[in-house]
Amino acid sequence: MIDFSVYGGQTPHISGYRCLGCGEIYYPAPMVCRRCDQKRDPVTGKGWETFDLEGPCTLLSWTRVWNLPEGFNRKYLMFGMVEFENGLRAAGRLEVEGEPEIGMKLNARTIEADERPGKPVKVFLFS
Amino acid sequence: MARVGIVGIGHCRFGNSSDYDLVDVIAYAAADAFTDAGGLRLRKEVDQVLVANMAAGMFNHQSAIASSLVSRMDMEPCPAELVENGPASGASAVKLGYMAIASGMADVVLVAAGELMRTVTGWEATDIVATMAHPEAEYQMGLTLPGFAGMFTRLYMKKYGLTERDLALVAVKDHANAAKNIYAHVQIPVTIEAIADGENADVVNNYVAEPLRMYSTCPITDGSCAVILVNMDSPKAQLFKKRGVRIAGIGSATDTHCVHNRKDPLVLDAVRLSAERAYRMAGIGPKDISFAELHDAFVIFELLISEEVGFFDRGRSFLAVRNHETDLDGRLPINTSGGLKAKGHPVGATGVSQIVELVRQIRGEAEEGRQVKDPKYGLAVNFGGFGNNVVSTILARD
Repeated sequence: MIDFSVYGGQTPHISGYRCLGCGEIYYPAPMVCRRCDQKRDPVTGKGWETFDLEGPCTLLSWTRVWNLPEGFNRKYLMFGMVEFENGLRAAGRLEVEGEPEIGMKLNARTIEADERPGKPVKVFLFS
Repeated sequence: MARVGIVGIGHCRFGNSSDYDLVDVIAYAAADAFTDAGGLRLRKEVDQVLVANMAAGMFNHQSAIASSLVSRMDMEPCPAELVENGPASGASAVKLGYMAIASGMADVVLVAAGELMRTVTGWEATDIVATMAHPEAEYQMGLTLPGFAGMFTRLYMKKYGLTERDLALVAVKDHANAAKNIYAHVQIPVTIEAIADGENADVVNNYVAEPLRMYSTCPITDGSCAVILVNMDSPKAQLFKKRGVRIAGIGSATDTHCVHNRKDPLVLDAVRLSAERAYRMAGIGPKDISFAELHDAFVIFELLISEEVGFFDRGRSFLAVRNHETDLDGRLPINTSGGLKAKGHPVGATGVSQIVELVRQIRGEAEEGRQVKDPKYGLAVNFGGFGNNVVSTILARD
């Protein structure tokens, strides 16, 4: 039995997840490990560990979006999809000088974004 | 398994209906379907109502619309449920209707669908549709469906040599078809000069999510439609004046929620698997298909889906468009209705609208200049999320 109500809300964060049963890594978190079927407890994290998902990565594709959703008071934003050195992939915001190129080496970090209503959230910035 | 046929269709003109009540808009199409089938009294023969809608709670601040529809149509105490499966809600509802008949629980099913998206601004609509993305890993980043489609298109261009002009050619074809479709949202043909070759093309056809431009993207559309499914072997089938257009095959499949978690982001496994399952059930293959409605919320999807369902080799579909093979009078007409690109994409209703188009073509009831010659099998692919929940449906002329 799990009781989600007895713990406070989790702080926004971006993590990779590792199954301690078999070592398989994920982003974002699954509920069940695809390799060994280990269940993840979202409250205690039992059976799993988290790790920072930052650092060197390679750009797989990118776009410059001009019709941003409600709350984004900017002309455009660039987004990219990257692959980290450990093989995990992620999508997030992209900031580079000049025109990005597929295959270029980037660095991933997390920043706080507050365009949408509610608490600020952590987002990836690839630069 | 029971033979299931579609004996009635209804469809409003897609466009702007947001001054009207959502349930009225859906009920109108449902009433049209009964009229088409032989008369409004036939609604009393229905054993199950399924309503397809994606986001009435967010677009219209309404919930429980299946219950509301039954009451509006004077169909109580008929069982009724809402089917929400993102943009694949429509075909999913037809699939569930088929299953209800195949299971023996129903002989007649009404599938009614509708979405009113223009009740909110374009920015809000983009945000609402984006809520189908992964909340933490995609939506939270600010990513939207056009953003994913832009990245997807760029990758395809780099790998296969697709050009922006090729994307425009798909739009020109779709708009030409929609211009002849009385139900289409945008009944205006466009020329390749206006949106790609002319000196003002960059202004007319501005970027939305590079390299996708406005004419690579569907409009935000309101609309409704409905179909009536009948067990063709049941005595009730005799009550309907039209011979059913048979549902020969239905297949569906899912894929990873996060696009980045796919081994090859350009491979749409759920599309391929859903089509394979539908072909297997129908006992046919891609070469047997006479025409198809493919979920081109972004024109790149028309190309990719046409490859995944086996019409063209990978990376070759845009060459078929260049050669006019997918035109109305081509070897394999695709998106004869104008597709989502020009007919419009009221998200939860789109899958049913695609199936209405298959029925119209197979019956030979499409408008002059839009009728496919002697169609035997039609394929519809309804695509939820960014290809993570897909339903393929094959209708047959018996």
